Amino acid sequence: MKKNILKTAALCCIISLSACSDKKDYSVTMPDGTLDKCSLRFSWWGGDDRHEATLKAIDLWNQKNPDITIIPEYGGWDGWAEKMNSQVSSGTEPDIMQINYDWLISMSPDGDGFYDLDKLSSQIDLSQFDNEVLSFGRVGEKLNAVAVSVSGRSLFYNSEVFSRMGADYPETWSDLIALGNKFGESGLYPLDLDIQSGGTAWYLAVVYIQQQTGRQFITPNGELGFTVEDIKAALSFYKKLEDSHVIRTVRTRTDEDGNAALYQSSEFIGGRVAGVLEWGSAVGKYESVLPDGILEAGPLLTDEKGCSDGWMIKPSLLYAVSKRTKHPDEAAAFINFMLNDEKCADILGTTRGIPASRSAESALEKSGSLKGLAKECNDILERSETVTISPYMELSRMKEFYNTAIESVSYGTADVDSAAKQMFSSVNNYLEKIRK
Amino acid sequence: MRSRFYRNPVGVSKFTGLILILPFIIGAVLFIIYPFIYSFIVGLKDTNGGLSLDNYRNILTDSSSRRTLFVTLKYTAVLVPLKLIVSLLAALLLNCELKGIGIFRTAFYIPSILGSNIAVIIMWQYLFTSDGLVNQLLKAVGISPVGWYGDPNYALFIIVLLRLWEFGSTMVIFLAGLRNIPKELYDAAKVDGCGRIRAFFSITLPQLKNIIFINLILQTIAAMQEFNAPYLITGGGPLGSTRTVGMHIYDEMFRFGDEGTANAISWLLFAVIGIIIILLYRFTEKLRRD
Repeated sequence: MKKNILKTAALCCIISLSACSDKKDYSVTMPDGTLDKCSLRFSWWGGDDRHEATLKAIDLWNQKNPDITIIPEYGGWDGWAEKMNSQVSSGTEPDIMQINYDWLISMSPDGDGFYDLDKLSSQIDLSQFDNEVLSFGRVGEKLNAVAVSVSGRSLFYNSEVFSRMGADYPETWSDLIALGNKFGESGLYPLDLDIQSGGTAWYLAVVYIQQQTGRQFITPNGELGFTVEDIKAALSFYKKLEDSHVIRTVRTRTDEDGNAALYQSSEFIGGRVAGVLEWGSAVGKYESVLPDGILEAGPLLTDEKGCSDGWMIKPSLLYAVSKRTKHPDEAAAFINFMLNDEKCADILGTTRGIPASRSAESALEKSGSLKGLAKECNDILERSETVTISPYMELSRMKEFYNTAIESVSYGTADVDSAAKQMFSSVNNYLEKIRK
Repeated sequence: MRSRFYRNPVGVSKFTGLILILPFIIGAVLFIIYPFIYSFIVGLKDTNGGLSLDNYRNILTDSSSRRTLFVTLKYTAVLVPLKLIVSLLAALLLNCELKGIGIFRTAFYIPSILGSNIAVIIMWQYLFTSDGLVNQLLKAVGISPVGWYGDPNYALFIIVLLRLWEFGSTMVIFLAGLRNIPKELYDAAKVDGCGRIRAFFSITLPQLKNIIFINLILQTIAAMQEFNAPYLITGGGPLGSTRTVGMHIYDEMFRFGDEGTANAISWLLFAVIGIIIILLYRFTEKLRRD
């Protein structure tokens, strides 16, 4: 009896230990071209508008494909990249992921971080995409992801506040500065820039310098294109925006909003802050907290000669498949549904920007859904000579360098000169390190 | 004569004890000892995949790492004494025999259960933003409002206040200690004409010295590992004035994906906490023995 109990206990120990052992099975399941019964995890970030539309799209998928169940995992942007980073590094990531452009560099520097979607082309209709769009998701020879939409940051304003102030949307940088002085008299701000996860403060300063110099801040292959003087000019420009009451200082913003995002802040909802710089694909969360039709897209700011160069675009979101998925065909079929299915496109609308897929775009056009701020933003960007943002620019460590410089200039703990030199050397050293 | 032993369905052998604690041993090996050793090895890995002390060298020469350590030490030095005093006072208050005192004890413990979750964070934002309740109260009594979130000198204070508000667990330990002090000591002191304040310093504090030490150690360790509150309330800002070592580890690991540095910082934090505990132990040794 005792021996049996001991044996059972020993067996239990072995089973529990073996269950926790690190098998490190990185073998990639090859596609077999058939769709089998399975469950797939699908993760994305976004605002409520995107969540609601995506859940409806998943319902439609489940009706059409009752054998393949999609398990949704979603949340806001803040902290999402960190969550995905830990899931990918521990091998527990979902089968299908909405990924950000810079994740291709951080999670798949050699192209082996995600499933090669070229191998799944029998399930995904890649012919719906331009080669340039597909190239965004390529790392080396491997197609790691497919871009959902191509988008850029544009300016959006609270039309009610502007009409109350009797002000037009600014067209040039000097209009914006003048507007700051005008709004300042009533204690209002025409725009808001942040140094949180969005990092719009540095972004706008980069656009201004790119427009003036024609140099790209960071080149597509990860070289720093700006000189110390350029960075100094960008930081000075940012300081000028604060001094002219165009935007709140970092201190005022932090005091008023704490750690909350702008679209959750009473200053934005109440109209004291009347403008925002946001991706066309993500502006829905700002639109939804204001009454219908209040938020409007404004023109891209130009120099006095009307040159609007320097504004940037990028694949706003991409879909990727985990390299560890046991169901690559099914995952690819779901991505195809999300990207190309006409009914699904109708449900999703422009919650992820204007679709890059031709079939989805024409479906939206047919149903008259190709409208709203995302569409206006797209049209505005299309009329300009935009540059494609380097994925290196959006890396978290890089954002930390920008935000440190902006914060120190705003608080006055460093002069523009030393902040620019510090940022130049930090960015340069880091880029050199990761390019190796 | 037959030897006596207790029969039970399992039977008793020299391995019975071992079997009974086996689940704990397995858990400890898998979830404590293995990660502990693995983390040390990862902390030694450099960018080329080799083993070296590069990560440790980089951390020690990096000014932002030193700053996070300074912030953490400052936070610990401010919070721990305050928390011990507040929780001891609350425990003294709740030690009296009143009708319905259990309700008060529960009420004082509730903030500790809440922790720093999202609801608490939102409440804190309503309290401390520029037009929050605290500033409105200050204005009402004629004091100029304070930029709690935006001023690097005050931001850490918001985190300290949150943790101070959550004094329940420290208080419960004090309360248990207070209830173990023999009542006769107070009766004898009263007969000798000893007042309440004198009784507190001559009876209560000496009787509680070991409890105070335990709370001191536990709270110091918790404060040195602080992460949740600054991460959720201030995000480490402004100007890194609330960025603790815990946040630094998180950023390196999950935001920047540098697991070597993150694990090396964890080990350095472990060493710093170890040194502080040894120093506290040494400095209070005589006090605790007397």
